[in-house]
Amino acid sequence: MSYSDKVIDHYNHPRNVGSMDKSSADVGTGLVGAPECGDVMKLQIKVNPETSVIEDAKFKTFGCGSAIASSSLATEWVKGKTIDEALAIKNTEIVKELALPPVKIHCSVLAEDAIRAAIGDWKKKQEATKPVAVQAAH
Amino acid sequence: MASTESKSSLIMPGEETSTCWSCGTMRAVHFCSACGKVQPPVPVDYFAFFGFPKKLNLDTAALQKEFYALSRRLHPDMSAQADGQEREWSLEQSSLLNDAYRTLKDPIKRTQYLLRLEGVELEEQSKQATDKARASGELKKQVVPPDLLEEMFELNIQLEELRAQKNLGEDDPALLEEIGKAKLSLEQNHDALLAELKSDWSRWDKAIDKVDDQERLKIRDHMVDVLNRRNYVRNLVRDVNEAMESRP
Repeated sequence: MSYSDKVIDHYNHPRNVGSMDKSSADVGTGLVGAPECGDVMKLQIKVNPETSVIEDAKFKTFGCGSAIASSSLATEWVKGKTIDEALAIKNTEIVKELALPPVKIHCSVLAEDAIRAAIGDWKKKQEATKPVAVQAAH
Repeated sequence: MASTESKSSLIMPGEETSTCWSCGTMRAVHFCSACGKVQPPVPVDYFAFFGFPKKLNLDTAALQKEFYALSRRLHPDMSAQADGQEREWSLEQSSLLNDAYRTLKDPIKRTQYLLRLEGVELEEQSKQATDKARASGELKKQVVPPDLLEEMFELNIQLEELRAQKNLGEDDPALLEEIGKAKLSLEQNHDALLAELKSDWSRWDKAIDKVDDQERLKIRDHMVDVLNRRNYVRNLVRDVNEAMESRP
């Protein structure tokens, strides 16, 4: 099996590697893993609370080239998107973009899971920090 | 030459209708117990191939004995005088025998195989759960518990550091000690998971005896969970060993 050019490009030049402050209120962190291969993927997003736009995204993945490329691409794609737009990203789109072979589809699933987990974490923080505002609106 | 009355010539359930292609009278699985001719392979699972019930505590001595007995009789050389068709069956049966033996003799492979027979498709199920999460907006339940993932992630970062230091020809005793400790804890974790799995095997076998389908499914899912964690821990121990060994 050989990697596609796009996978190799992301693997050699991963975009947005790094981390953000996990405890910050506008940062959402998603940490997911695939037991089949032992990959671990961490994806973080920084969201503008006013607009719900993802202003920045970082990732760190321990895994194969496809897992690294999938998460690198995921950070590229979520940047500039609203939360709802990011939630619409499908793993099959990652498969298509990176031309992943069937045995590596789970890497794209992992990347989608990471996006969702990060958004879920951010939402949870939003709810926790804004109970008063929500009640006042009623 | 082993006696033709070996256990492997027993008739399997559901195969009462198969007759020997050569003498036409005897019912057989691997070879005819009357004329000894190799039979065409029938689609059976590995447990049935050896005539074992689908249980997880397996008598490996009996398995080995059976394997050798069957190997001798199914080996293509044994049917060197036979026609092309029988030789082909002999080859197919021999390769099936080897696969079945290799899978069943290893308790972990045996468990993984049984889980596949029980309809567990990890990747497919993970993909479906993601599709469901996307459609419903609910969070997908991760198969690996968050605290274990956190531990994996941290250790991977330390390993990366260790490799980087190694490349620079440096040595950080504090880091090595930390990784050593983490490795020890991983190994303990691994042993604990194995013990858990072993108790699952006995529970599984009991559920099979009692034909308790509900209990069977419960143990099945628990074994999937334990195996997933074990996979993770084992891979990480391997990575730690590699990183430590490749030090100058």
